[in-house]
Amino acid sequence: MTWRDAIGLAVTTVRRRPGRAVLTVLAVTLAAALLTALLTISTTAETRVLDQLSSGGPLAGIKVAAAAPDPGQVDRDNAQPGDPRNLDDAAIAQISDLPDVRDVVPIVSAPMYVITPARDRDNRRIGPFREDIVGVDLTKVNQLPVTVVAGRLPVEGSTSEVAVTQGYLDRLGLQRTDAPLVVGTELQMASPQVVRDVGRDRVRGRWVKVGIVGVVAQEAGNGQILGTTELVNQARDWSRAGVDQSSALELPTSPYTGLFVVARGIDNVSLVRNQITAIGYSTSAPENLVASVRRYLRVVEIVLSAVGIIALVVAALGITNAMLAAVRERRREIGVLKAIGARDRDVYRVFLLEAGTLGFIGGVLGTAVGWAIAGIVGRVVNGYLAQQRLVGVQITLPFAVVVGGIIGSTLLALAAGTLPAVRAARLPAREAVGGG
Amino acid sequence: MVVVSGAAIVVRNLSHRFASRAGTVDVLSGLDLDIEAGAYVALVGASGAGKSTLLSVLGGLEPPQQGSVTVGGADLGTLCRSELATFRRETVGFVFQHFGLLEALTASENIELACSLARLAPRARRQRAADLLAAVGLTDRARHRPVELSGGERQRVAIARALANRPQLVLADEPTGNLDDESTLLVVDLLESLPGEHDCTLVLVTHDHALARRATRRLRLQAGRAVEESP
Repeated sequence: MTWRDAIGLAVTTVRRRPGRAVLTVLAVTLAAALLTALLTISTTAETRVLDQLSSGGPLAGIKVAAAAPDPGQVDRDNAQPGDPRNLDDAAIAQISDLPDVRDVVPIVSAPMYVITPARDRDNRRIGPFREDIVGVDLTKVNQLPVTVVAGRLPVEGSTSEVAVTQGYLDRLGLQRTDAPLVVGTELQMASPQVVRDVGRDRVRGRWVKVGIVGVVAQEAGNGQILGTTELVNQARDWSRAGVDQSSALELPTSPYTGLFVVARGIDNVSLVRNQITAIGYSTSAPENLVASVRRYLRVVEIVLSAVGIIALVVAALGITNAMLAAVRERRREIGVLKAIGARDRDVYRVFLLEAGTLGFIGGVLGTAVGWAIAGIVGRVVNGYLAQQRLVGVQITLPFAVVVGGIIGSTLLALAAGTLPAVRAARLPAREAVGGG
Repeated sequence: MVVVSGAAIVVRNLSHRFASRAGTVDVLSGLDLDIEAGAYVALVGASGAGKSTLLSVLGGLEPPQQGSVTVGGADLGTLCRSELATFRRETVGFVFQHFGLLEALTASENIELACSLARLAPRARRQRAADLLAAVGLTDRARHRPVELSGGERQRVAIARALANRPQLVLADEPTGNLDDESTLLVVDLLESLPGEHDCTLVLVTHDHALARRATRRLRLQAGRAVEESP
């Protein structure tokens, strides 16, 4: 008998005798559901926690400041920068060439005077305020610690769209959950420029109207407004065209205010930080915190996996028990199979594949049920987070859990079916006939 | 040219015993037997006389404990488990009192299963099953499972399955034991046609004297030996 024929016979037998299989499948389903739910929840929790730690950016992200490193701060996660130092294209090229650097995203910023149409809680107009606008290459925004809370990011290259941060909401006396309220409103922003007018310095502004298209949580740079590099460069160029480039307006002399460097994997963060420090720039990255938290999360994941695996092992024992009972019950059928020419290994295959089929069905059902359970848990958690005015979590079913759940259940069932299959294969062909 | 149909059976000094709580029971004791190829032989005897045991040994369901058994030139005492399986698959067709059909499979699938063990291609299996079901008059029952068939129909499916791999020897163990009179006649007619139509030897175990008398030879098992009965 070929494997294909054996699979066909096993599947047909299970399909047409559902009464016998249903309890066994149910046991595997419950176990696989538990494992899937636990792993999905723990993976989501891990993603959430690490996302919080990295502020939405890659875990292997390193912030580089336009400043020299402070020797006493080098190994710290939140190292304070030393003396200002220009960060230019040559420095970017040098850092980009480091072998363990995957990407470098330059960050620019410029001071702006902002007028908002919004009113505060007492319905009073909010006066103009000065705020830095942070500009990044939005094609690389997924490499940055930028998370969209509401709306969307500005379109690449746009000079008429911006996103604002939680700080802007705070200024308006709004909570994070109120973020959608500011999306769609307009800001008037002026880039300042110092001009000499009849012997004295005067500040004038170049005014632009921009629409707020989104609210973000961002730690790419210091500033409550996020725009495109083009928008910020226009503002910087205007401000620099004045007579006073640094003292009155406190304009930075560095072409870039910072960089966000992504290392090739979290294990290379420390090495890359050291190399950038050697080049002469201050860096910061939550590497020690992330590593520490990951260790704790790994322990939690192991414990949860162990609970799920214990459930699967119990289910496997159930399969063994059910299959042994089936062998006892089907002695004559096994004898008949042998009487018509089945070899021991044919019988072994059929019984093993029956167990595998039960495991596969249980694995598929269990994974689906587990995901549904994780979804329900996610909704409950999100309800709680919403009450706490926090952003909810998105439950994602890792592909590895799906594949692992189904294949694992099947393999475990095959292992559990081995003993009954061996017993079935060893039964004598004489079982086909009665005594006498 | 001599045309040989079916398998010739030669049994010499066959002894077989079972261990039970009450002690060892000698079922067959120095049994000698010769059955020519293409014969139709009825085995009769009291319950416990060893009819089914002899059938099991002749069909390779278990190896002879003592003595020699040769079926179609194959010395069954020298065959290992795997070779016995091949022997059963290629040489023997069994018909049981309990029909022995797999309940989860349809009539056609039961026959196809026997063909699949002989590695027949799927299309050829389906054709063979259809031909055999037509031969036993059950074409319209091909997709029925055993539970949906009458006793007589089940036994006819079992006979069709026994013929699936064109056996040289058909062994029938009380094939009419669970059937009503009408079904018995149908099944007996079918079985009796096998040596002539399918070129095989037929050995039939029965308690039914009327059925036994229809065989070309009648052997009675008595005290562990086979005694020829006059026609």
